[in-house]
Amino acid sequence: MSEKNKLSSPVAEFNGVSLRYGSGPEVLKDIQFALDPGSFYFMTGESGAGKTSLLGLLYMAHLPTKGRVRLFGYAVDELSRRAKARIRRQMGVVFQDFRLLPHLTAFDNVALPLRIAGVKESEIRRHVSEMLTWVGLEKSMRLLPEALSGGEQQRVAIARAVITRPTLLMADEPTGNVDDAMAKRLLHLFLELNKLGTTVVIATHNQGLIKHFNFPQLHLEKGRLSVIQSSTPYRDMAAKLFNRGDKE
Amino acid sequence: MNKPNIFFATDPAKLFLPWMSMLMSFIAVLILAAGMLTYTSVTRWQRSVSGSLTVQIPTYTELGAARGELVDKDIETALTILRASDGILGATVLSDNQMADLMTPWLGDNAVMAELPLPKLIDVTVDPTAQLDLAQIQADLADQVPAATLDSHRIWLTPLLRLSSGIIKLIGFILLLLVLTTSFTVIYATRTSLSVHEPVISLVHMMGANDFYVTNQYANRSFRLTLAGALFGFGLALPIMAGASFFLRGVSSELVIQPTLTLMQWGTLITVPFVLSFLAFITTFKTVLAYLKRFL
Repeated sequence: MSEKNKLSSPVAEFNGVSLRYGSGPEVLKDIQFALDPGSFYFMTGESGAGKTSLLGLLYMAHLPTKGRVRLFGYAVDELSRRAKARIRRQMGVVFQDFRLLPHLTAFDNVALPLRIAGVKESEIRRHVSEMLTWVGLEKSMRLLPEALSGGEQQRVAIARAVITRPTLLMADEPTGNVDDAMAKRLLHLFLELNKLGTTVVIATHNQGLIKHFNFPQLHLEKGRLSVIQSSTPYRDMAAKLFNRGDKE
Repeated sequence: MNKPNIFFATDPAKLFLPWMSMLMSFIAVLILAAGMLTYTSVTRWQRSVSGSLTVQIPTYTELGAARGELVDKDIETALTILRASDGILGATVLSDNQMADLMTPWLGDNAVMAELPLPKLIDVTVDPTAQLDLAQIQADLADQVPAATLDSHRIWLTPLLRLSSGIIKLIGFILLLLVLTTSFTVIYATRTSLSVHEPVISLVHMMGANDFYVTNQYANRSFRLTLAGALFGFGLALPIMAGASFFLRGVSSELVIQPTLTLMQWGTLITVPFVLSFLAFITTFKTVLAYLKRFL
């Protein structure tokens, strides 16, 4: 596939993908879907349905036991380690357990992806300060994660995932520890990124958010995936949300 | 604001590596210095035995009676034995004039020398590359020319040379063991550190850090910690060497050389901390690289 075709190809494409851990049962079965550039999806399903595993395949924590995963047009199983690292730098992940480094301050946790990407310290200072201010943590920049509440830690984790303006953003229950107002505020952050072209996949149980934002859903049930389209095309939905300045 | 240390804020290797490298460097420097001094002695001894031998034929008996014609007969027999032996290039009897030249520095003019019961000397030129069977030559001389004496440092230096070569090999073996111990210790410390920091490594890997981002941080840190400890160990070895040099100064002789090192030998010793640190760097680099293969 040429570079031009790769740019216009789906951000992620799953063809007959199955996954099992060791000799255990299949946790994902014959998954088939494609994420178009700039799309926004909720990933839904009960606990144990395979949401975290599907996200793991998306950020290349695992390889499928059957089928093929393509990311940005590249077959993951054919990528070199260097190429995988390059692709990972185009992704942002918010983990369910946050995975903040306990010995780094909120500022340094958020700065981590930029430092890995080799961004200049002066730029890092500016971007990270802005981002932490945006998520309401301007007064907590120098605090270690242990000094932050669960909701604040979650916001640090989100800030870290979006600081590089990733092409693909994945979040596993990103609003689980914050109140509804903050949840919507964070969703607006994701929408902002989506408006700039980032493809967003958010795994959530929060029915309020799903109904409120009405984006298409990747619904998992016992390891099988179905796509539930939204009643309103997501671009129109995003436009509507932004135009009315939905901040309640 | 300082760039934070991502991996090593709390690390078990922080103290372990410097202590280990200090000890290794201390031992390596002392052993290497001893090895170099032994090598210098061995080289000098080898040089002294590789040149020539001397056979003495007494011209007077122990009771002071002139041996007369027996001397010429003994010289003839001794020359025949020597020339027939493997590894001997030539044997010639020193003339009276040559003897006089040799003795002049000690005895002055020749008039005094004529009064002395000097033996006849046979100068034997030895092939330095050949294996000389001195024991056989000595046995043949004792059998056929009982009055003759074979003067050679080689006779008593050969077992000493063997011992010294053995000591040098032993020192080489100990140094090899030190290198292996250092490598295994670094591997152990690195693996311990890697398992402690697995969540961090897994996270930075997921964020797109390539393998060298992680390996370089670990290897550079290993180098720094090892160098600090090894330089300290080198410093600790210096007073020990100075003390040994002071106490051995009095026993300096033909056998035991003055226990001082040449500039080049000092240069070799100062490389020890750097060699150890480089070894730690390479070992850590390879250990971390192998470990990272477990991540996709």
